[in-house]
Amino acid sequence: MLSAPWFQFSLPDFQYAFLSILLEGAPFLLAGALLSGILEEYLPPSLMTRLLPANPRLAIVASAFVGLVIPVCECGIVPVVRRLLRKGLPVSCGITYMLAAPIVNPLVILSTLAAFRGQGALEMTSLRFMLGIVVAVAAGLICTRFAPFSILRPGILAPGEGEHHHHHDTDPGISGRLANVAATATRDFLDVSVFFVLGAAAAALFGTAVNQEIILPLSTNLPLSIASLMGLASVLSVCSTTDAFIAATLTSFPMAAKLAFLVFGPMLDFKLLFLYGAAFSKRFILMLALGLFVVIGLVCWRIGSLNLAW
Amino acid sequence: MHSLTRILPAVRNALILLLWGTGILWLAGSGRLSTYLHPSLQPFTVAAGFLLILLAGFAIMGLATMRRETAHSCACDHVHHEDHGDDHHGEGVAGMFIKALVLVTPILVLLSGNADRFTTTTVANRGVVQDLAKLPSANASAAKAAAKTAVPEASPLKEGGSMPLQVIDMLYALQMPSYREEFEGKDVEMIAQYVPMTRGNPKGDRFQAVRMFITCCAADAKPVGVTVRGSAIPRIPEMGWVKITGKPTFPMEGGKRTAILEASKVEPCDAPTEPFVY
Repeated sequence: MLSAPWFQFSLPDFQYAFLSILLEGAPFLLAGALLSGILEEYLPPSLMTRLLPANPRLAIVASAFVGLVIPVCECGIVPVVRRLLRKGLPVSCGITYMLAAPIVNPLVILSTLAAFRGQGALEMTSLRFMLGIVVAVAAGLICTRFAPFSILRPGILAPGEGEHHHHHDTDPGISGRLANVAATATRDFLDVSVFFVLGAAAAALFGTAVNQEIILPLSTNLPLSIASLMGLASVLSVCSTTDAFIAATLTSFPMAAKLAFLVFGPMLDFKLLFLYGAAFSKRFILMLALGLFVVIGLVCWRIGSLNLAW
Repeated sequence: MHSLTRILPAVRNALILLLWGTGILWLAGSGRLSTYLHPSLQPFTVAAGFLLILLAGFAIMGLATMRRETAHSCACDHVHHEDHGDDHHGEGVAGMFIKALVLVTPILVLLSGNADRFTTTTVANRGVVQDLAKLPSANASAAKAAAKTAVPEASPLKEGGSMPLQVIDMLYALQMPSYREEFEGKDVEMIAQYVPMTRGNPKGDRFQAVRMFITCCAADAKPVGVTVRGSAIPRIPEMGWVKITGKPTFPMEGGKRTAILEASKVEPCDAPTEPFVY
């Protein structure tokens, strides 16, 4: 029996949460856009393909670890991936990096260790890291079976596949290069911000209007608890650097459900559902959402069934 | 006409960057950023505000040189690096206005002046936490450590005055008998937000004193609260700030120990500079 209706909407609450999410996420989105501008101006198009292993499968596996070198949280990852794709990064590698980076990230590893102190911190952090990599690599491998144009939005493909490419013979100089970085960062920031604003609105709506008590009765059933915490992760849309602190408080839920929260949330929360729209086709995003929900859910169910002592 | 379709998006971009940057810096300058974000995140947002204005400056400079550059054209008329990409290939007039509308929406919400605190709707939807184990663990540990040292140093009984006490102190004391003894039955002052009690309040002499506990921003706020009981509770707007003077008690109710502040005086007050607990 709920103490309040399952859905109650308050415009001021919605507006307040909406602005909070934007103010929290904007710096990270901007950092991603600036990194994108720097990559555009300074990263030679062939470097990405030269750095990655020639074997496509090994390249996908290697992409899952790029987050350790270029750590970007989920708010900033989309502009970076868009730019890397334009620079010739294979789509499958881009998707692997995008899904893994918010988890395979030094800050996220440390925050998960800190948040779960006394609650099997090492086990939870290791499992989060490993499951993040496995799921991201699996998604990348599956994507190799599809043509890039069926995955990406038009205009995102690398030069030569979907857009014009121009060469400037003259050196623009430092000020010219700075202007180019700023122009690229501006365009990427505003392009992705449109989706970020929509995602923040969705997260704010569900975060303030839905009675969170509705998931409590589900905590005693393993598959339902896993599904409900993946849903909660989407609704809350908390940054991956701090989501472990929220997950650790869900004391009535099994650890496998918390693991699902920590892996699914950074890969596909409500704001990401919209942010991905800046780079990927709607059909692909829908398939990705369903695939991630099912795969992460099943793996966590299996882990939960093992009754590990943690 | 063609140059207009290039200039308009550029003008829009410069204006939006300027508006977003100014909005952030205005919030920071007026001290209102703390009503949205955890202190550790505020510097990043302020830096983003400055960077957005810097980018707006670059965009305005780009506008100034745009006319000159259009004279030097290539096959598809775009001549400068800024135009590479899909900006003018995929964004029609309708798309341009929709994008502008979406991006201006946060500024309109900010200007509405209506978005600086939660109402009791969110408190009801999230439930009032009275068990510290349900707060983010690392921070709760920090609160625990702080509380241990804070009572003797920061909350001395002033002569003829009351001991300042936080909602979270009472919740911690609820679980820790030794800490409870520090202030049980003593005169204390607590500042919190007023939430009426709709259940478990047959005599109508109770309300909840609530503070919002945040991990990173207001969107993840969890209400934490204690029950206040008093004979003369003035009319206070829901979620309005109140200063409560009274004595903390920890009676058994319904088979479990609860934290109740027996109020001798309840009065409206201004919001504290730090509206959240962390």
